Amino acid sequence: MDLNQSMRLLSSWIAQIGGLGLDLLWRFIHLVVSLWYIVSGIIEAVESYAISLGLNKKYSSINIEKLRCLAVVVDIEEARDVSKVIELLQWLRTIGVKQVGLFDSQGLLKKSKDLILGTVPGSVLSEEIGEKDSSPEQNPLALEFISSSDNKEAVMKAANILLQDYLKSSRPENDKGENFFTETHLNEALRVVGENVHAPDLLLVYGPIRSHLGFPAWRLRYTEIVHMGSLNYMRYGSLLKAIHKFTGVHQNYGT
Amino acid sequence: MLSLLSSLLSLLFVFLISFFIITSHFSFPLSLLKLLGFIKFTASRDDDDNYKRDEGTYVVGEEELQRELMPRHVAVIMDGNRRWAKREGLLTSQGHEAGAKRLIEFSELCFKLGIHTVSAFAFSTENWGRHKIEVKCLMSLIQHYLKSKIQYFQREETRVSIIGNLTKIPESLRQTIHEIEEATKSYKKKHLILAIDYSGRLDILRACKSIVHKSEAGLIRKEDVDEAMIERELLTSCTEFSSPDLLIRTSGEQRISNFFLWQLAYTELFFSSVLWPDFDKDKLVEALVSYQRRERRFGCRV
Repeated sequence: MDLNQSMRLLSSWIAQIGGLGLDLLWRFIHLVVSLWYIVSGIIEAVESYAISLGLNKKYSSINIEKLRCLAVVVDIEEARDVSKVIELLQWLRTIGVKQVGLFDSQGLLKKSKDLILGTVPGSVLSEEIGEKDSSPEQNPLALEFISSSDNKEAVMKAANILLQDYLKSSRPENDKGENFFTETHLNEALRVVGENVHAPDLLLVYGPIRSHLGFPAWRLRYTEIVHMGSLNYMRYGSLLKAIHKFTGVHQNYGT
Repeated sequence: MLSLLSSLLSLLFVFLISFFIITSHFSFPLSLLKLLGFIKFTASRDDDDNYKRDEGTYVVGEEELQRELMPRHVAVIMDGNRRWAKREGLLTSQGHEAGAKRLIEFSELCFKLGIHTVSAFAFSTENWGRHKIEVKCLMSLIQHYLKSKIQYFQREETRVSIIGNLTKIPESLRQTIHEIEEATKSYKKKHLILAIDYSGRLDILRACKSIVHKSEAGLIRKEDVDEAMIERELLTSCTEFSSPDLLIRTSGEQRISNFFLWQLAYTELFFSSVLWPDFDKDKLVEALVSYQRRERRFGCRV
């Protein structure tokens, strides 16, 4: 009996020690993974600062001509801090971006339009670019302010316009509208509603969620989408890196 | 011995907290909870499994997936078949075949995890521009898989719907589509949607046209046209959850490519660098964990 009891005690100890060992191994793996994330985060931060300081030659010249239109989506909580948005726009102007669409779902940036236009040097509303023959600025930064009302609501209004035009038009009885409802017609109807149909080449998302938060869907067909993280932690180097990466992207457009 | 181990763990804890404080100025994907989760003082231990979980959670590897936070609708853009085939030294057709197999496994796993609807971008309108032989091969592959899997979907009680502009696809494929949709239309708990010859913009246009015809027939008035009506006319109205909660795109490309434009307004976008035939269970869990960690506000302040 003593032997059995000793054996039971021994196996119990072995099981406990083995379990403890496995637990420590599991925690060690967690530690290694977390240290990996910490180190990679430090490397990313250092790289970003190096890019900002111009130490990385690879990012010193960017083919900015490829980026005709950039859109920025800002989470509504972060859109309340307009100073960060202004700083971002100043960086974009430094990089050489010519056209920027600013989006937040509730139109907070639209309300701060005057402040932003007054603070960011060389910025004008994109609608005014064509109207004025000569801008005082040689390279103005064209800004567009967009909100959720420019998304589904705008498509709905455009659909209503198409509907009214179709019903008013004289057409053969068997015409099912195949030649009436095309992408071109909806583009035109959106313009009538006052919307810009120009598709951005690159969409930068600033916020906790990797989602475009209701940016006008019609315009997003082939847009590159990059999640940049929180606006509070934005870095010039990360911005430059994202734009540089975009200039290297090759799209097949499905073919 | 235990006190020595406890001291060691305490030292580790202090070390990690210092690291966290130093790195809190940087935007790392690391949370305090995750760090604290490392230190579990094992003063008392059970004989059972250490990882006691509540009912309704799944433990996969080191991460937990919670059933109540599972997305209801997951959409996937299956990109990378051709690159995968090239990397493996195979033909493009074999790459697409591997992609089709992966889709079956992917949807099976999603349904097992409690996801109701899975939609996949199988063939876009723009894909007609590819080489004729590749297009023909794709159409044959889709037909072969749909035909051979009818009984499987019936056994699994999975409803299958195919959406898109199906006028240009071969007649034989159209018949197979009709067959599988009829055979599975009564199932309600799981729904697999395949988008074939689909374009997000054309879906919106089609919805507008449908509204026009209804208006001509006197079924609706002009003033009734609103967002909800357009949504009801979109091809995704075949499912209860027409807006995906999570979109996964593989192969590293970071764009929507004309898929579900209207429906993706508040969808969590997950871009994976892995090629589609390599997108296995671990990668899906990574996407779902990423989804479950997000705080989605749908444009409102919570």
